[in-house]
Amino acid sequence: MNKKLLAVALGATVAATALGSVAFAEEAITANGDYTFEIIVKSYQSSYWQAAVKGIDSEKEALGVTANSNGPNAESDIADQVQMLNDAINKKPDGIGLAACDQEAVLDALQAAKDAGIPVVLFDSGVPNAPEGSVYSTIATDNYGAGATAAENLYAALKDKIAAAEAPVRIGEVNQEATSESITSRGLGFIDKFTELATADGHTVAVTGNEYYVNNCKEAGDEAAANIIIEVAVPAQTTVELCATEASNILNKEDVIGIFGSNQVAAEGILTANGNLNVLGSDPETTVLAAGFDAGATIKAAIADGTMYGAVTQSPLAMGIKTVDVLTQIANGEEVTDLPTDGYWYNAENMDSEEIAPNLYD
Amino acid sequence: MANQKTVTAAKEKSLLEKLGGQRFIVLLVIIGLAIFFSIMSPNFRKYTTLVSILDYSYYIVLMSIGVTFPLITGGVDLSIGTGLICYSLVGGYLISFHNFPVWAGMLVTVLFGVLIGCINGTLVAVMDIPPFLVTLCTCMITRGLGSIIVGGFGITWPTAVQPGGWFRNIFKISVAPRKMLPIGIIWVLILVFIMSYVLNHTKVGRYTIGIGSNKEAARLSGVNVKFYHVIAYAISGLFAGLAAIAYSAVFSTVQPGTGAGFELEAIGGAIIGGVSASGGAGTVTGSLLGVFVICLLKTGLPFIGLQANWQQIITGLVLIGAVLIDVIKKRREAK
Repeated sequence: MNKKLLAVALGATVAATALGSVAFAEEAITANGDYTFEIIVKSYQSSYWQAAVKGIDSEKEALGVTANSNGPNAESDIADQVQMLNDAINKKPDGIGLAACDQEAVLDALQAAKDAGIPVVLFDSGVPNAPEGSVYSTIATDNYGAGATAAENLYAALKDKIAAAEAPVRIGEVNQEATSESITSRGLGFIDKFTELATADGHTVAVTGNEYYVNNCKEAGDEAAANIIIEVAVPAQTTVELCATEASNILNKEDVIGIFGSNQVAAEGILTANGNLNVLGSDPETTVLAAGFDAGATIKAAIADGTMYGAVTQSPLAMGIKTVDVLTQIANGEEVTDLPTDGYWYNAENMDSEEIAPNLYD
Repeated sequence: MANQKTVTAAKEKSLLEKLGGQRFIVLLVIIGLAIFFSIMSPNFRKYTTLVSILDYSYYIVLMSIGVTFPLITGGVDLSIGTGLICYSLVGGYLISFHNFPVWAGMLVTVLFGVLIGCINGTLVAVMDIPPFLVTLCTCMITRGLGSIIVGGFGITWPTAVQPGGWFRNIFKISVAPRKMLPIGIIWVLILVFIMSYVLNHTKVGRYTIGIGSNKEAARLSGVNVKFYHVIAYAISGLFAGLAAIAYSAVFSTVQPGTGAGFELEAIGGAIIGGVSASGGAGTVTGSLLGVFVICLLKTGLPFIGLQANWQQIITGLVLIGAVLIDVIKKRREAK
């Protein structure tokens, strides 16, 4: 945490003294050599990662560098990814871009990269315990903030219903796993923000379900005393089917009024479950409100027709582009810092707007 | 199932075997699990839960019907899981990006499955490569091929409300708002009936069992062993293709790179249902029942509030239990 504060402080100082230099640097990146980078994504499982690869490919051509993208078949193939990372280190590239599936499993490899003098840029997911000096820059959506964004919007829509409720109400959350930084941060960001907003309005909140989230949220509360229960579900494998089963379990409960799926797979799982249950909609009085994450044809269609209340999207394309940019800057010997990217809330009203539409990939 | 043995020991045929042997045990397990989960979770008793279980079972049941044939020959087909995704991606891609009518996309999906099945069969039967190795390779090939053909992106088959969405009604029709009729189970049962007939009353079936129990004897008695061996894998491919359609109809987005692991549920189901892990014995109805054990566990365990890791442990224990029954049964028969 202190390191993060320091980074923020440093960033602020740099910004204050050299206003505009970041923007300038972004526009004027050129590769001062024939660089080769190895970039490892989390999986080729979702169109999300394909959009990132698209960004990587377009930027490597623009800069005239070589960037080889690779990734395991599924985000749960942690060992495969570590193997790929070790292989990448052995190739001695000018830099490695990594979206880590697991924050702990990559630590040894990051140390090896540091020992071999290969700079690593993390994107999408950070690794909080990375060996000092191994990671040069982290380019990631502020996942905790993005989860909080979903909570803010869902709470605003459900506020009146919660206030009027005579019995405790339930909010569901489906996370496809409890190991990666991005998913866990989103899940915890949602829980903490929802709890904060509800507590400020005089409600009491309890968090139940998956141990990781219950143990790591700010305030787990007491289920017996709470009038809002946040139930967190994590499936045994990261498939849409098992996410759907977990979502069915929550959506079947009489007291559920809202549900959040923290990535494309989880959000589609919620929609699949709803295919049989038919309880979702955009009217808090008569239906359960669902908030999703990321895009894809299915989620976009569900938001457009009101089945899903809204979702948070990131910009994978921009993340891919920035990763190649930063790797090139490091190879050039330039100073780089962390680059947080934003998560945006979208719903049926604003999904076609200029700010949102380019981020919504199929 | 144990026909060869019971010829000599017909009089000693136990009550259990009269009732259908392992299938009867599995049926009891299914009833037991259903009662247990229903008592533990009121939501499990709901009609919509039953529809969900059926929805998520079709593709595994179909794979399981098909893979029963290679398993009975003493082989295995590991390519059906990633194959399913590959066939579905290709069919969906042709529909979404090349304006194929849905029926044509479905046909391509199934034929692609048959093609891969024939390739598996030829490599196993004619080239004499171990089935484990052959199908592990085609498993990898189909996983990569699907991604390459569609360009790495997830594919969405037409949704129920889009033109061409009719194919989703093959498995589930809406009879009233919030009331779905899971008619897919009818087609699945018809296919189980047909393939049971094929296995027990046709040359294809008898020779499949013959190859599994004693390949050399089958060859010496004049059976074209290679041909029927290929057919067993072609059947597996055909049903992987049908499973691809079931998967596309039930789930929204088909993602490249997924599917690995599906085959284990189908093969696990077949083994639970009494298909011998060493070949030569098994039934299609047994495989159907075995898959339902897995599907009940997959839905029931989360419903009673069990967390992810425990779900996997319990599913693993049930599989070991099923294999143990097979082993104990064999030992008793050998005595």
